[in-house]
Amino acid sequence: MSAHVPDQMPRYIGKPILRKEDLRLITGAGRYSDDFNLPGQAYAAFVRSPYAHARIISIDASAALAMDGVLAVFTGKDIAAAGLNPIPHDNSLMGTAELQRQGADIILVNSDGSPVVSPAHQLLPETHAHYAGEAVAMVVAETSDIAKDAMTVVDVEYEELPFVVDAVAAIAPGAPQIFDRFPRNIGLDGEVGDREGTEAAFAKATKVVSLHTHIQRVTGVTMEPRAATGSYDPETGQYQLYAGSSGVFRHKLELSKVLGVTPDKVRVIAEDVGGNFGTKNNLSVELALTVWAAQQVGRPVKWTSERGEAFLSDYQGRDLTVDIELAMDDEGNFLALRSRNVSNVGAYFASFQPLRKGVSLMSNVYDVPVGFVHAIGAITNTGTTAPFRSAGRPEAIFVMERLVDIAAQRFGFDRIELRRRNLIKPDQLPYRNIAGLVYDSGDYAASMEAVLRMVDWDGFPLRAEEAKSRGCRRGIGVANYIEITTGIPREWAEIRVDPESGFELAIGTMSSGQGHETSFAQVAAEWLGVSIEQVRLVAGDTDRLVFGGGSISGRSMRFASVVIREAIDRVVEQAAKVVAHVAGVDPAEVTFAEGVLTAGSTTTEMTIMDVARLIQSESRLPDNLRKPLRGEHDHFFPDPGYPFGAQACEVEVDLATGTVTIIDIAAIDDVGRAINPLILHGQTIGASVQGLGQALMEHIIYDEETGQLLTGSLMDYALPRAEGVPNFKVAITETPAPSNPLGIRAGGEGGTTPALAMLVNAVVDALKEFGIEHLEMPLTPQRVWSAIHDKVGNTSDPDLAKLLRS
Amino acid sequence: MANVIIRVNGETFEREVEPRRLLVEFLREDLGKTGTHVGCDTTQCGCCTVILNGDAIKSCTILAVQADGGSVETIEGVGTKENLHPVQRGFRACHALQCGFCTPGMIMNSIALLRDNPAPTEAEIRHALDGNICRCTGYQGIVEAVQFGAKVLAGEDPDSLEAARAAHSHEV
Repeated sequence: MSAHVPDQMPRYIGKPILRKEDLRLITGAGRYSDDFNLPGQAYAAFVRSPYAHARIISIDASAALAMDGVLAVFTGKDIAAAGLNPIPHDNSLMGTAELQRQGADIILVNSDGSPVVSPAHQLLPETHAHYAGEAVAMVVAETSDIAKDAMTVVDVEYEELPFVVDAVAAIAPGAPQIFDRFPRNIGLDGEVGDREGTEAAFAKATKVVSLHTHIQRVTGVTMEPRAATGSYDPETGQYQLYAGSSGVFRHKLELSKVLGVTPDKVRVIAEDVGGNFGTKNNLSVELALTVWAAQQVGRPVKWTSERGEAFLSDYQGRDLTVDIELAMDDEGNFLALRSRNVSNVGAYFASFQPLRKGVSLMSNVYDVPVGFVHAIGAITNTGTTAPFRSAGRPEAIFVMERLVDIAAQRFGFDRIELRRRNLIKPDQLPYRNIAGLVYDSGDYAASMEAVLRMVDWDGFPLRAEEAKSRGCRRGIGVANYIEITTGIPREWAEIRVDPESGFELAIGTMSSGQGHETSFAQVAAEWLGVSIEQVRLVAGDTDRLVFGGGSISGRSMRFASVVIREAIDRVVEQAAKVVAHVAGVDPAEVTFAEGVLTAGSTTTEMTIMDVARLIQSESRLPDNLRKPLRGEHDHFFPDPGYPFGAQACEVEVDLATGTVTIIDIAAIDDVGRAINPLILHGQTIGASVQGLGQALMEHIIYDEETGQLLTGSLMDYALPRAEGVPNFKVAITETPAPSNPLGIRAGGEGGTTPALAMLVNAVVDALKEFGIEHLEMPLTPQRVWSAIHDKVGNTSDPDLAKLLRS
Repeated sequence: MANVIIRVNGETFEREVEPRRLLVEFLREDLGKTGTHVGCDTTQCGCCTVILNGDAIKSCTILAVQADGGSVETIEGVGTKENLHPVQRGFRACHALQCGFCTPGMIMNSIALLRDNPAPTEAEIRHALDGNICRCTGYQGIVEAVQFGAKVLAGEDPDSLEAARAAHSHEV
C-alpha cells in the first residue's frame, strides 16, 4: 500500500507556493530565542578572557557578589567540582574510521591510525583561557543590566602565555604549544588519495601550475544572535533549554552528555530561528550554562548574546590555507593534483567537517585521473571554527577554479575551452574522484554552457571595450561546482491524524529560514491528498521527537521526503484496514489514490480524515481498529547527494578606487528535484550573496601581535548591503539523484559553493592586462587598488598613470 | 527613574523607566511587543527599526525618554494576518524573508520610504534599505516586495500582481 500519487499532475510538489510561516513573521508574531521568557527568570552575563592564551591564576567574585541583585558567580572550578562533562562535539562525525563509515563523507583519520578527537571543551575552563573572548566566568543576576554591570567587577588574575593565531605558524616547529595532548598543535594529520601515483604523474607532466592561497576566516552573523533560557524542575529532575539551533534533538543529546544525565531528563525547545548557516549546529557553552546555572540558583536563567559578544564567541567559519599543484599535458588535459590543506580549527575544534568535505572535492567536476590531499587540522588561540554555509566546499571549488583560470592565463588556453576539455562527461558517470567520492549523475558541461549564455559570455569583449573608455576595466568569470550533501545520516518523522486539528507532522529537522513549514507541508499534503492548510509541522520540541538530525549539509528535504512518505504509508495502511472492515473486503483490496481510499470494486470510498472521524465516533469498530491514525518512520541514509551547477558574473573595476561592481550575475543549480522553486531561488541568491560577502569584504581578523580579535563589531566586519548587491538570474535543472525516490540532491548551499571563485575569477580577468594572476580574498577596494598600483605604479602609459593617480 | 507617556500603534502607555532604557527595550520588555528585534549593538543592522513621530529610526539608539510624548509605529500595528498591509503582502508574495529576523525592521523602513517617495526607483529602494542588513535573502526579494507594495498602494490589485508573479519566474 503506497501513498504514491502520479507525478504528472502534482498539486504542490514543484510549485512556488507562498510560505505559511510568513504570515506570522511579517506581522511581528515570530517567536525567536530572546522572545521567550519564564516567570522568575534571572539573567546571565559572561566574563571573557582578554588574552589569547593565559593561565587563570585566580577569580575573585566578591565585588560582584556584593552588588544588589547578583545571585551567583560561577567559574571553571565550579564546573569541575560539579563533574560536568565537556561538550561532545561531532562525535558521530569524527572519531575512528569505523565511526566515520556510518556517514557518506570520506574517511579522514590520522595517518598514524589514531582516532580524531578534540580538546576537552569544558563549559568554563578551569585553568587556562585559550582564546581572546573565551568565557571564564558566568554572572547570574536579577536583571540583564545588573549582570553586565557585575561582570565588569569580577576580578580575574591572569598569567599571559605565548600564543599563536595563524594555522601555518601554529604547526611550524617552535610554535607555542597550546594543549599537551596535541604536539605541534596538530589536531588531525591525514591524507586521502594516491600519493605514489600522483608523484609519478607529476614527474612526467610538462605543465604544472601551483597556487598558495588562504581562504579567510569569516563568521556567520545570523541576524538573530544566540540566546537561551535554561530551567530546571527539581521535582522531576528535568532540565529544559529554550534556544534556537539547527535541530533540538542534537542539542538534547549533547546537553544530556554534558550534564551527565539520561536524555529523557532533557527537553530542548525552539520555535523560530533567526538564521543559522551552521553556526548554531554545535552546542555552545553559554547555552549549556544557562541550564546548569538554573539548577544551581533555583530559577530559570536567560542569556542573550550582544553582537560584539557574538563576534567573539560564535563558532566561526572557513580559514583554510592551501598549497596546491595541478599537472597537465601540453594539450591542457589534467593529469594529477596534489594539495596540502591546513584548516584553522581554532582552540576547541568542534568539527572537522569543513576540512573533510573540502579535501574530498578538490578536483571539482573535472576528470583528474590521480591525486592526493594532505589534510591538517591546526589548533590555534582563536575562536573555534565549525561548518558555515557549504562547509569546506566553497574553499575546495575556489582553489580548483582559480587554478584553471591561472593555468589558462599562464599557458595561453581559453578558460572555457580548458574547462570543456576536462569536465567529466555524462557517460563517465558514475565517476570516482581522487578522494574516492563517486559522483552519481549529471551533465556538468550543460550547466556551464547554460550559465555562460545567461551572462552573454560571448558578447563580453564589446562591453569591455566600452568600459575602458570610462576608465574602468571589465572582467567576466565563471565557476563550476559540485558539492556533497550528507549530514547526520538518520532521520525520523511521525504523522498524527486528528479530526479536530488535522494532520500533524513531527520531524527531527528544523528550519532557520528554509521554509519547512511550507515545503514539508507541500510534500505531506501532496501524498495525503489533502490541502496544505491541513498539515501542521512540529519540529522544535524534543518531547515530540524520537530522533532528529537537524538542518545541516542539505539533508532536510532529502531525508524528510523519505520519512514523511513512509510515515504516510503507515497511516494509509492503518486506514485501509478500517475501510476494509467497513466494506467487508480484504485490506489488500483497498487502494489509495488522490486522497481517497477505495474498497476494491465496492462503492465504499473514504478519505483519511473520514477514517479518523469514524475511529473517533464509531464505538462498534473492533478494538484493534480504533486506535487514532498514526504512522512513523525512522530511516538510515547511507548515500550522499551531489548538487552541481555553475555561476558566472561580469564585474567592473574602477581603477582609481579599486571598487568592484557586479554588473551581471547568473546561477544555475541542479537540485535533483525542486519542491518549491520560490524557496530554492531564495536559497541560491542568499547563499551566493554570502559567498560574495566573503569574496569582497568579509574577514575575521585575529591580530598576530596581540592575539586580539580586530573585527569585533559590525563597524569593523563588512557585510553585503542592499546597495551593493546585484540582481540575479537564476535557473534550476533537475537531474534526479539516485539516493532517494524523489531524486532530491538539495539546494541550500549550492549558491555559496562557486561564488568565491566566480567573483575572484572575474576580477582577475578584469586586471589581467596589468599582469595580475591572482588576488587574495577579500577583494576590498584597498587590496584591488594596491594590487594594480604594485604592478603598474611606475607606468609610462600617460592615460593609465592619470587614471591611477588618486 | 523617569515617567514616560508614549503612544504605540495608537494606544497610550505610561510607564516608569530608567533614563538609560532604550526604546527597543521599552517596546520588547516593558510592553511585551517582541516583533521589533535587537540584532547588533552599534546601530548597524536595522532590525530594531520603528517609526517614531513619522520618521524611521533605529530604536536601539533612541532612549525611551526621548520618545516621551511621541508616537511610535511598530510591526505589530502595521497589519494583521487577515488584513495585511500592501508592503507585508509584497514581502510574502516576493519571498522577501527567510528567517524573518530582519523583516520587521525592513518592513517599517520600507513603509516610511513609500510614505516619502511613493514611486521609488530600484536604486532609491536599495539606498533607503542600506541601513537594514539581511543575511538570508540577498535583498533581491526585498526590493521586489517594496516595488510590489508601492504598486498596491498606488491602486493596483495585489491578487493580480501575485498571479502575474507566479506565472513569470526569474528563470531564463
